[in-house]
Amino acid sequence: MAVITIDGVRMEVPDGANVLNAALDNGVYIPHLCHHKDLSPLGSCRMCIVQVEGQEGVTTSCTLKAKDGMVITTKNPEIERLRMLALELLLAGHPEDCSTCPKYGHCELQMLMQYIGPKTGRMKMRSKGFPENEKNPLIVHDMNRCVLCGRCVRACNDMKGVGVLQYKKKADLEVYVGTLHDKLLKDENCRFCGSCAEVCSTGTIRDMLMNTGLKKEDEIVPCRHACPAHTDIPKYIRFVKEGNYDAAAAVIREKVPFPTTLGYICTHVCELSCKRKEVNEAMAIRDIKRYAAEHDTGLYWKGKGKQLPDTGKKVCVVGGGPAGLTAAYYLRKQGHDVTVKEALPTVGGYMAYGIPAYRLPRDIIASEAKVIEDQGVKIEVNTRVEKPVELLKEYDAVLLALGNHKGVRLPMKGSNLPEVLVNADFLEKASKGEETGMGKRIIVLGGGNVAFDCARTAKRLGAEEIHLACLEARAAMTADDEEIEQAMEEGIFVHPAQTFEAITGDEHVTGVDFMNVESFTFDENRRAIIKKEEGSEHHIDGDTVIFATGQWTDVDPETIGLTLGRAQSIAVKDIENDKSASVEGIFAAGDCIYGTKSVIAAIESGREAASQIDKYLGGDGDITEKLAPEQDASMYIGQFEGFGYEPRRKTVIDAPEVRQCTMALYDHGLSDEDICGEASRCLQCDLRLKISGPKTWGDFTEGKEA
Amino acid sequence: MSALENAKALTGAEILKKIADLGLVEQGVYAGSLADLLAAAVAESKEEGVEIGVACGLNNADTDYVLLGILKNAPEKVMEGIAVAALAVGAEKKTLYVPESEKALADELAEKAAAYGIAVSAEFINVRANKGSAMIHIATAADLADAFDDSYVPGVYVFVGEELKKVSATTKIADLVDVTGAKAIEAGYKLYTPAEEPTAAAAVNGVIRVLTDKDCVVSAAEKKVTACRQTSCGKCVFCREGLIQLQYMNREITQGRGKAEFIDLAKEIGEAMEISTLCSMGQESAKYTLDAIAAFEDEYMAHIKKKQCPAGECQAFINFYIDPNLCNGCAKCTEVCADDGLEGLPGYIYIIDEFNCTKCRKCEDVCPVHAIKETTGRVPKLPDRLTRVGRFRAN
Repeated sequence: MAVITIDGVRMEVPDGANVLNAALDNGVYIPHLCHHKDLSPLGSCRMCIVQVEGQEGVTTSCTLKAKDGMVITTKNPEIERLRMLALELLLAGHPEDCSTCPKYGHCELQMLMQYIGPKTGRMKMRSKGFPENEKNPLIVHDMNRCVLCGRCVRACNDMKGVGVLQYKKKADLEVYVGTLHDKLLKDENCRFCGSCAEVCSTGTIRDMLMNTGLKKEDEIVPCRHACPAHTDIPKYIRFVKEGNYDAAAAVIREKVPFPTTLGYICTHVCELSCKRKEVNEAMAIRDIKRYAAEHDTGLYWKGKGKQLPDTGKKVCVVGGGPAGLTAAYYLRKQGHDVTVKEALPTVGGYMAYGIPAYRLPRDIIASEAKVIEDQGVKIEVNTRVEKPVELLKEYDAVLLALGNHKGVRLPMKGSNLPEVLVNADFLEKASKGEETGMGKRIIVLGGGNVAFDCARTAKRLGAEEIHLACLEARAAMTADDEEIEQAMEEGIFVHPAQTFEAITGDEHVTGVDFMNVESFTFDENRRAIIKKEEGSEHHIDGDTVIFATGQWTDVDPETIGLTLGRAQSIAVKDIENDKSASVEGIFAAGDCIYGTKSVIAAIESGREAASQIDKYLGGDGDITEKLAPEQDASMYIGQFEGFGYEPRRKTVIDAPEVRQCTMALYDHGLSDEDICGEASRCLQCDLRLKISGPKTWGDFTEGKEA
Repeated sequence: MSALENAKALTGAEILKKIADLGLVEQGVYAGSLADLLAAAVAESKEEGVEIGVACGLNNADTDYVLLGILKNAPEKVMEGIAVAALAVGAEKKTLYVPESEKALADELAEKAAAYGIAVSAEFINVRANKGSAMIHIATAADLADAFDDSYVPGVYVFVGEELKKVSATTKIADLVDVTGAKAIEAGYKLYTPAEEPTAAAAVNGVIRVLTDKDCVVSAAEKKVTACRQTSCGKCVFCREGLIQLQYMNREITQGRGKAEFIDLAKEIGEAMEISTLCSMGQESAKYTLDAIAAFEDEYMAHIKKKQCPAGECQAFINFYIDPNLCNGCAKCTEVCADDGLEGLPGYIYIIDEFNCTKCRKCEDVCPVHAIKETTGRVPKLPDRLTRVGRFRAN
């Protein structure tokens, strides 16, 4: 160890320690610009100069090594003169107006100017004349703002091992940072890790998406933020890349008890926000999850998760769908005695009676439900609860996770004809193998995933001609693109932008009258405004109509004994933060409080409910658990030829002719050959969060006042 | 036996001792004991925990490359010298640097160098990346080779009379080149007055140039700074930005737009550059300007205050006019002028349009009667309207 004194502050630091880091860590601010804690010192900006007692002249503290007894001064007239001169020289080639810079308020150069003071205006100012480069995905280069601190070059080369950025010289001798032959980042094998933007001291290298108002970690890792359960996606993808599927599955299990189910049918909003889609195509996150879940042996989580001692409190969960089962699982782990009452013959809710088996084989739901049962959750099937309030006599708390199992019939001419079916009934009957009542020519009304489930199920049950019509234009349809494309491959006719005028037929359905939609918008009260194309009336023949235009909660408002909200939902105090219903002790979660969403949303709602009920029952509400092993995620990601062009790997899918005749699974997931390649495409945005943030003057003045 | 074979017969310590005993010095700008330099590199590599290496090249500050002639004339000698230095410090890693513009030379030497385990690189020497390496000048490597085949003669390399020579470091430059009529002597990266009687040792890059009354020091300083900008890697703030400011100020002064405060600012920046940069480029590149200001402040001030270039070199201060008494109205001048710089009609006295004239002198070359005149002083009275040849009266 060495005892050194900086500006009168004595500090004990390791022998040979970097003096600048030592000062900053010990509360002494030394201005700096090219220095970055995580990068090798460069000593080029001369902001961090100090004087060492007994040595002539000034020296850069970023390259100075601590020696016992060193006495260092960071401020005196000579240091300040040279520091000011360095700043003046730096600013000579930097735009003068900070207020138009996107980095305003976060710029380290700006903060240095505030610390060092106003410059004298002696230098010849110049504009470097670089066009702003927005030709690359995700990253903007504005070399006019560059002060050549060189952090990006060191980050790209030394920290990340990617080696894309280098110092360059223009014909007019202006030095800048760019790529070899000024090629596009993608063509120079950039890995779009964003480290350059992270370490940039000015507004030169920036994220194209900035100032979204989100927390930094959410802005930087959008997939994790977009996932309703905030699954640590980059972490499990990295485990998958390493071939450690057990660890990957454990990461997923830390947030959701249905990894395999989600791997098959998750609506994957994460993929919509995946930054990789700006480079070429989004990561196949769901398919990777499926692969991990299917190759999981349970090494890290089976019998290893949290299980608190019994509390003696009893909870009844009404409804064994994703929300109910999730809540039951975590409530059990918190030590409560949990009973799930399910009206249908098996648990799974919409996963088992809505989502068709060709998308989600039923044994998967059963095996994932078994884990929950094995945790000690009691499950009672074929048990319909009509009066939940009465359960409070037996239970300390009740959670209603009823789902939305009642299809909506739009009030229109012909909607009560016998061959008019509704989505939920149709899919439930199909799931149970019961007669659905459909004919040969089917018209499905609706454009979401459920509508496609109906249409594709009808196809598999032998319908001869299937039309699907919806109000939304093709681009605005809420169904996943792959659902739409695969349905069309199966010969289903898709008619976007249609108004449903009437179901025709006197005693039996003969078809539907439609008109084309010219525009479809919402007014400020979120009411739909539909403009129809004049004279576009047309008719599609059919013998069966299936409404897939939404679902309601299947409750009897007369007997439920609770306040209901829109679409017969169970009214709760706050959808996210307080799921208590109108009667104390009764909570509600999932689709029955916020309307039809997704399995992953239901799981998160179930998690929130578990935490809130645990608190209500006297627990701490902390349902988090750590299952996955530590991950040694290296910052050094290295070079990868053609990285930006790596295509998204496709799953193995049965041909339309084969799959359209059977309810058997048709998507067999990513192949063993493709899994590593797909996982390797990840930009690993999360690694950027490990890069140290800047230490500016403000951090220190506040510290002193405190 | 070659130098390298001789050295191979010795231990590293023995090689170092021989280097010390012969009093070999590092050539170039970091002149000093070579034995000390090598020992310091060994110590630094240990301290930094990096592999020791030998890096050999010209000084980064060099923009003339005349000493590259040593390598071009005897590449094996330089390579042997590098190999001997590597043996002395126990290095495996050996790099020979040539200027970035000498890519062809690097390629040409690559194969030969590979036989010595030397990598050839055409780039500006990154002193940060070479921390822990012994950095020696090409001339030093040549000396090392000489020393180990017992042909070493102390001295420095200078380029005089169109050839590269090795002369004693104490030789007066006045004895190497004709300095009659010299107002300044450029040697190495500096500018000397004849009274300083510089010796060959000053010519650290081998360059010796004589500036006479016809050479403008401001213009010379501007050229020097521009050459440095072209070569500098631009990483250090003071080198990159300092050179830009020095170039700007020198250029403004030569163009008649200089300001008195430039003198102090140039001094302040130049002096700071010497102590605020990592390699010889930043450390040396301002010296020429500083020396020029110190010794020839009058010449600087003449440009700034009197708007005159005493050497008559700076175009901005030369006024061109057509002697109205000589012009024959032949219009040949208008035929060669690409810039619409002449007013008049055939048979009339032509007048130069100062605004358009670029001082290219093309008209001067074609004028059959030598009517186009230059002066650094005042232009005489000229016709103020279209005047027939022969009709001009000065009063």
